[in-house]
Amino acid sequence: MIKTVGLEKRFGNNHVLRGIDVSVKPHEVVVIIGPSGSGKSTFLRCLNLLEKPTAGQIFFRGQCITDPHINVNEVRREMGMVFQQFNLFPHMTVLENITLGPTKVRGIPEDEARETARELLRKVGIAEKENAYPSELSGGQQQRVAIARALAMKPTAMLFDEATSALDPEMIGEVLDVIRKLAEEGMTMVIVTHEMGFAREVGDRILFMDEGLIVEEGPPEQVLGNPQNPRTQSFLSKVL
Amino acid sequence: MRVDGGIDVALDFSIIPGIMPALLLGARLTVELATIAVAIGLVIGSFVGIGRVSANRIIRLVTGVYVDFIRGTPLLVQLFLVYFGLPSILGRPIPPFVAAITAMGINSGAYVAEIVRAGIQSVDRGQTEAGRSIGLTYSQTMRYIIFPQAFRRIIPPLGNEFIAMLKDSSLVSVIALEELLRKGQVVITRTFRPFEVYMVVALIYLVMTLAISRLVAWSEKRLKVVD
Repeated sequence: MIKTVGLEKRFGNNHVLRGIDVSVKPHEVVVIIGPSGSGKSTFLRCLNLLEKPTAGQIFFRGQCITDPHINVNEVRREMGMVFQQFNLFPHMTVLENITLGPTKVRGIPEDEARETARELLRKVGIAEKENAYPSELSGGQQQRVAIARALAMKPTAMLFDEATSALDPEMIGEVLDVIRKLAEEGMTMVIVTHEMGFAREVGDRILFMDEGLIVEEGPPEQVLGNPQNPRTQSFLSKVL
Repeated sequence: MRVDGGIDVALDFSIIPGIMPALLLGARLTVELATIAVAIGLVIGSFVGIGRVSANRIIRLVTGVYVDFIRGTPLLVQLFLVYFGLPSILGRPIPPFVAAITAMGINSGAYVAEIVRAGIQSVDRGQTEAGRSIGLTYSQTMRYIIFPQAFRRIIPPLGNEFIAMLKDSSLVSVIALEELLRKGQVVITRTFRPFEVYMVVALIYLVMTLAISRLVAWSEKRLKVVD
């Protein structure tokens, strides 16, 4: 469903991604781990073109989205993204946060969008907060709203950029539960995370990135349980 | 009390009631000038401010030149350019009021543009990214997400801009527009009481600017509650 070929990204002289070849199958959950600065987040942000790749190609549902003639807005609405800092719209209520995309981008009538939004809020477990403003919510609640906001666009794939890194420890579980539920429903997902236990549990495949390259990949038991590459071994010995 | 030469140095504030009607009439024109100028400035400044953060280099360049030129030259010179300079190109004179609001409006536009630019840039980048990530276009993101948030931060500096315009409008007294300062000068030719009259003129400016800054502080507090 998502495929990258020789993906590269430079920020000035900083060569952040140095040729990434990844392919994600429908309903697959790919988890990316690796040390800070390894390029995990940049890779994820390239996938929905929040960062413009310097070289290489990205294919999404068979279409080359790095083609300059592509409508990036059409691509992005199909790929939901959840950010480390939630990035909810502070001047809108929870419900407005969720209905903005569907009404303005998809042209769905307000009533219908609200109904869908309420359904999604039930799904992420905060139905009672629909009229609250983001500042009135805890971090875990905000992140769950952010997930609902992304899901409201009915995306074909979801990207999670360290979705639990900014959360207090006691709130991580509630967010991971939601992501887990999505995995069970067969959502195609690419997840960047530092939660190794979660990676092992939810991931169909683990990619270990270091210095802009994928160093090792495979099923969780293999990459996390019996890593072959010395860099993976060294990283895991520090975090596990 | 009299000193040599026969000049009366004693202050005579009894003239104040008599000159107030004329001065208040001038103050009214001052408020009108500043209001219209900032209103024009708001329209120009909104577009230019957005242009300043545009992805298009040429738009950034053009708007940047405008802002630099206006902010780097005196308002009085800009006023002369419009009032004395433009007629020679247009081939006909420009009424003082039109010249005044034109020069002041264009001037205010540059300052408002910087306020708008700062307001837009003060909104976290993550907001734009979140908007774009759900498929909103650049202009939709600006309209629904960035502007509403920038607007609240723009109010206080906009109040300051209005105060600055209110004071700077005294410059147009030189093209014979009878705003507050000019009215004061006219009154002096009648009363020969420059100190008293200018003091009253200053105090009227002060009352107006204080009132506005209070209003801004109040609205700032109100908007914070919503945040």
